[in-house]
Amino acid sequence: MSGKTVLEIEGLKVALPKGADRPLALDGLSLSVKAGEVVCLVGESGSGKSLTAGAVMRLLPEPHVHVSGGSIRFGDTDILAQTETQMKAIRGKEISMIFQEPMTALNPQKTVGWQLDEMLRLHMKKSDRKARRAHAIEMLHRTHIPDPEGAYNAYPHQISGGQRQRVMIAMALALSPRLIIADEPTTALDVTTQLQILKLIRDLQEEEGAGVLFITHDFGVVAEIADHVVVLRQGEMVESGPAKQVLNAPQHPYTKALIASVPDLKPPMPKVGKDAPVVLTGAHLMKTFKARGGFLTGKRKAVVAVKDLSFELRRGETLGVVGESGSGKTTVSRIVTRLLEADSGSVQVGDTDLLSCSPSELRSMRKHIQMVFQDPMASLNPRKRVVDLIAQGPIVHGETREKARARARDLLELVELSPAAANRFPHEFSGGQRQRIGIARALALEPKVIVADEPVSALDVSVQAQVLKLLADLRARMSLSLLFVTHDLRVAAQLCDRIIVMQRGEIVESGLTSEVFANPQHEYTRTLMTSIPGRDWTPPKDVTL
Amino acid sequence: MSLTDTELAAPEPSRPVVFWRRYRRNRAALLGLAIFTVVVLMALTAGIVAPGDPLSRAGAPLTSPFVDMSVPLGTDQLGRDILAGIFYGARISLLVGVVATLVAIAIGVVIGALSGYFGGWVDDVLMRVTEAFQTIPNFVLLLTLVAILGSKIEWITLAIGIVSWTAPARMVRAEFMSLRNREFVDAARNLGVSNTALIFKEILPNALPPIIVYASVIMALSILLESALAFLGLGDPNYASWGNMIGQGRAVLREDWYCAAIPGVAIVLTVLSFSLVGEGMNDALNPRQKQ
Repeated sequence: MSGKTVLEIEGLKVALPKGADRPLALDGLSLSVKAGEVVCLVGESGSGKSLTAGAVMRLLPEPHVHVSGGSIRFGDTDILAQTETQMKAIRGKEISMIFQEPMTALNPQKTVGWQLDEMLRLHMKKSDRKARRAHAIEMLHRTHIPDPEGAYNAYPHQISGGQRQRVMIAMALALSPRLIIADEPTTALDVTTQLQILKLIRDLQEEEGAGVLFITHDFGVVAEIADHVVVLRQGEMVESGPAKQVLNAPQHPYTKALIASVPDLKPPMPKVGKDAPVVLTGAHLMKTFKARGGFLTGKRKAVVAVKDLSFELRRGETLGVVGESGSGKTTVSRIVTRLLEADSGSVQVGDTDLLSCSPSELRSMRKHIQMVFQDPMASLNPRKRVVDLIAQGPIVHGETREKARARARDLLELVELSPAAANRFPHEFSGGQRQRIGIARALALEPKVIVADEPVSALDVSVQAQVLKLLADLRARMSLSLLFVTHDLRVAAQLCDRIIVMQRGEIVESGLTSEVFANPQHEYTRTLMTSIPGRDWTPPKDVTL
Repeated sequence: MSLTDTELAAPEPSRPVVFWRRYRRNRAALLGLAIFTVVVLMALTAGIVAPGDPLSRAGAPLTSPFVDMSVPLGTDQLGRDILAGIFYGARISLLVGVVATLVAIAIGVVIGALSGYFGGWVDDVLMRVTEAFQTIPNFVLLLTLVAILGSKIEWITLAIGIVSWTAPARMVRAEFMSLRNREFVDAARNLGVSNTALIFKEILPNALPPIIVYASVIMALSILLESALAFLGLGDPNYASWGNMIGQGRAVLREDWYCAAIPGVAIVLTVLSFSLVGEGMNDALNPRQKQ
């Protein structure tokens, strides 16, 4: 396994402009990547992990952000001493990069083939057009893209997200680079695709014998792919060591806490008996998205988002709706809250069918079913103070201003925010704090049911653990009934009593979380379970948050 | 970022303070603001600087500027004081600028908001009406309206407002179309907030910055439209107006050019100040800009 060292970073310091939250984005980072080795750089948002990639590629937004100390050696070359022209020869050919979002990293105006060809043309000056084409198709073939010839002629929007990432990998490996930097390459992908891509990176890298610097925030991914792990916290390297050691016996308290925040895959025993009253019933829900046809363009194809879906939610219970993107799980959350009109079916809240309410009845019914949204920044009106955001619901439903505001302050305390937060605007908070505000807003109306649509997927893992803990606490204290939509099976395992697994708008499996996890019946559920990154690794839990 | 995420960051300065800090960085915008202040002061002090009717005779006809200190900027062919005309003209220009802009923005916001928020057939109908207005050249429509309504200053102002609402309506519509699908709107709807409150209390405040910036452009255009009308002799003859002065100064342009040039400069500076202020506000209100 241990080959020649391809990348050696020593004491790297990257300075941020004045007025940033800290003077140094990276303070004394040292790591080395050997040929044939995958080094994972792990950290939460703002830890400086992406800036490391920028520094190695010499793509920092200079002069605002610049390297102020340390050295980066690539083989025998001192990266920091290279001129821009010399760097151009190194980038792409010697060091290549795989980005998080393949759609934005590919030019939407050019075919995949053109973009592969462009890179080969720039770096393999001699070869003729036919040789380059053959090489490009060979590379696409090696990434196991279905129909490489077709993909060569396709535009980026015509192929799926996973295939785009395969194209990016083909581009990155086409010139047999000695170092590959992968910056969160699977974060934007579904779990099943993620696993395939991780395998692909691993296989190709072993064939080529290249070194990989793999940047990620996800310890599951680390467990899946890493040989060596470097943990960053706010620009400081807190731990570095072989993957097994860091994952199973972390030394630094921060690493311990981070790893303890990773939800493990053992679902809790369900606490709610079958005798609890049903608070929410969805029956035979259907939703088809029809594209609005123009006068001349004609109708486009309709997409079935939810097909004959039925479920029951009991008091004090958490029902997880699990699925990959496009499975219709978000559509379910919108139909149940009637933010989206279903084509047919019914949603019973208590004795009332929400879907057949008149607009004014609906407005008064809304206090019984509240929602926590995915993106805590987008779901809070940026022009309103926190206290008004939380008090808005009760005021709309006839509470006096003073009482609603007073209650809003109590709720802030309940979600563990200081009362000083009340008079601030949403942009002054961190992501986790914003999500706490979102939860407080949902609680303000004392609803019978809370629908949570991916409430923690935009958060860092340690913050995610805290928000999940808060939700679990509140659920126990106030006997909340939760409809919890998520793509993350680890999160579902942690919080949900029962889950329903969705694929292409239909329920493929449902049951107690513990049973579904232990013994998945449907083939799709099994694929999902085996795709969870790091499923064989159980995070050590010797630290409490 | 850190392990305990319930600690709050230090409080930030209030919005107006941040706005002023950003605005202050643009020198041209500060110049614009200075000129604008001067124009406002001129409008306010017109009665003190030049008491009496600005349209009455103040000295010998066609006195050159800086010759007779009782009429420092000279007189026109009827012996009217040009300085008084400029000061009183500032009142008309600002009145037309502000009121016509308010009219245009009000119509534009209502039509654009309804159109963008509801979409569907509401959008189709309102946008066809907007397009009907847009196909007629502004100035031709203005001439028609003034010919029908008469050339009292109130009607002229209203007519200018009516010919200028289409652009803000389209802008508001675009803003609403992108904002109506944002999660915070869904969040408010989910609380049971009514459509009217959603439009005016949730979405509109977020759509305002570009509208405010565009208002400065409409103000500048309104002043130009009023001047153009007056230049053609269709302005309100009972008020001193910069356009009127240029129109009449045209007759003596070869010998006594200052009769047309001085009000011309006043128009240029005022319109320029609006543009600069608008640009400064655009920079200051742009959320992507850091402090």
